[in-house]
Amino acid sequence: MERSNYGIRSYCSIRGRSVRVDGNSFLTADPAMPLGDFLKSAYRKLAIDYPKFHKMDGLCKAIFVAAELIARASGPYKRHTALVFANRSSSYLSDSRHAHDIFRPDDPQASPATFVYTLPNIAMGEISIRHQLQSENVFFIFDSYLPEFMVPYVHATLDGQQSGKGVLCGWTEVTEETCDLLLYRIGTSGKLAHSIAQLKKLYNEEDE
Amino acid sequence: MRDQVYIIGDEVISPLGAGSELNFQRLRDGHTAIAPVVDANLCDHPIYAAQMDDAPWHHLVKDARHYTRLERLSILVLQRLIDKHDIPLDNETLVILSTTKGNISLLGNPESAFPQQRANLTAMAEAIRRYFGFENPLLTLSNACISGALAISVARRLLRYNSRYKRAIVAGGDELSRFVVSGFDAFQALADGPCRPFDRDRKGLNLGEAVVAVYLSTTPTQDAVEILGVGSSNDANHISGPSRTGEGLYLSIQEATHEAGNITPDFISAHGTATPYNDEMESIAFQRCGLSAVPTHSLKGYFGHTLGASGLLETVMAIHSLKNNELIPSHGFAHPGTSQPLNIITQRAAQPLSTFLKTASGFGGCNIAMMIQKV
Repeated sequence: MERSNYGIRSYCSIRGRSVRVDGNSFLTADPAMPLGDFLKSAYRKLAIDYPKFHKMDGLCKAIFVAAELIARASGPYKRHTALVFANRSSSYLSDSRHAHDIFRPDDPQASPATFVYTLPNIAMGEISIRHQLQSENVFFIFDSYLPEFMVPYVHATLDGQQSGKGVLCGWTEVTEETCDLLLYRIGTSGKLAHSIAQLKKLYNEEDE
Repeated sequence: MRDQVYIIGDEVISPLGAGSELNFQRLRDGHTAIAPVVDANLCDHPIYAAQMDDAPWHHLVKDARHYTRLERLSILVLQRLIDKHDIPLDNETLVILSTTKGNISLLGNPESAFPQQRANLTAMAEAIRRYFGFENPLLTLSNACISGALAISVARRLLRYNSRYKRAIVAGGDELSRFVVSGFDAFQALADGPCRPFDRDRKGLNLGEAVVAVYLSTTPTQDAVEILGVGSSNDANHISGPSRTGEGLYLSIQEATHEAGNITPDFISAHGTATPYNDEMESIAFQRCGLSAVPTHSLKGYFGHTLGASGLLETVMAIHSLKNNELIPSHGFAHPGTSQPLNIITQRAAQPLSTFLKTASGFGGCNIAMMIQKV
């Protein structure tokens, strides 16, 4: 099912304590830096004023930073840009926090501010608000990065889009201290082929 | 011209019983599953909810103790669907699991009989795959309260644009848990009595639980329904509250209607959670689409809000409305209570039906609309 009429317009990875855009470093830090501090320094380097960022959980923060950088590298998103994300742990970061809140022996109590983030697709809601995307959102859960599924599925999504063909997609696995994220933007033009081989290469790029 | 995609089979297990026909009959008879629930595992105070007693079905699952409650129920509903339609389990069958929270009742729960890792959705999907021996891994998606309806759309897309699959099973389920009850309670979203979708006096939702499975094919059967059009759009407005203008739902309905050839549905199966803001938002979206006069119901007054399962559950019941040419009343509605008028169904009515619109909305600002028609 591989066709070459769609291409990768821009991509961003956040791995370890490194943020890269289209293969170029945006920010690196000491691997010992806590992930929360690292994402905050990435936000500061973006030099935007978006107080909602500080309310988000780690999953949303990492996706927010990557979506912002891709828009800078390849231009503002069209309103119909669909979102197709996947990860392994869903919203585990906030799930475990909420579970802790309600099962702790002393004063068990749910916090609405935590509970609202116990859904993986909240991150897609956050960037839809930021970039005014009124589009389809799908969040898949896989054991591992799976371009073998994502590439044909995203092709099918693009084929079905009536106007303004575009998809922002990727792998967004974020835990308390680790971030394994690759977001990429697909459109009818792009520097790189939207293929399984290409996406495997990009995913492994910073390890080389 | 792309292949058309049809729903050719469906199964439901809910607190109203096992089987789609039985559930539909219970709706016709005006039964509701919502009742006061006193269960220390769920909540420290009584709530109104639709809870399932799954003990009678326990023995139908082989090695039942190896599976969580939600896995057992999911296995049962899938087994019924597979047996009824003799569905091949080979690699041409796509299987999708859609759920909002899966086995979340295990997480952090000192009473859990399973390892914490089982709360991961991929662990649930793999347990179900192994039980049946599906060749393909289950495709798992989690998109808040539109999960089930969205899974139908994803399956349709893969059947239309990806020659690898010939047929699809879309399963969805969610269960009551302390995790979910405490969260909605903290949001003050739970009603202190039976919920009243679209009513003037609505005060919030009741939670429920159900497992549902539908069978999709590109080959229609005599009593199949066709998915004529689908639209899905984010509000881009708020992560935990519906848009004041109903923008995302409006766009979703417009897209689904356009793809379906600009037809008007015979009725609408709305989301209708019975929270003040949700139902108001839907009335605005329907008005903007020129659908205010179309007979409309919410089934939340019978089943409660079954989260990710709700879109599938309510779609299946609407399919049975089509097959029986019968409109089901919106349980709990007495007085109009939205800024835009709606034509809420208050009486059972036999009339020729060919098309319905299903809508759903969820946290994160997501919305979906599907236009479905008899073959």
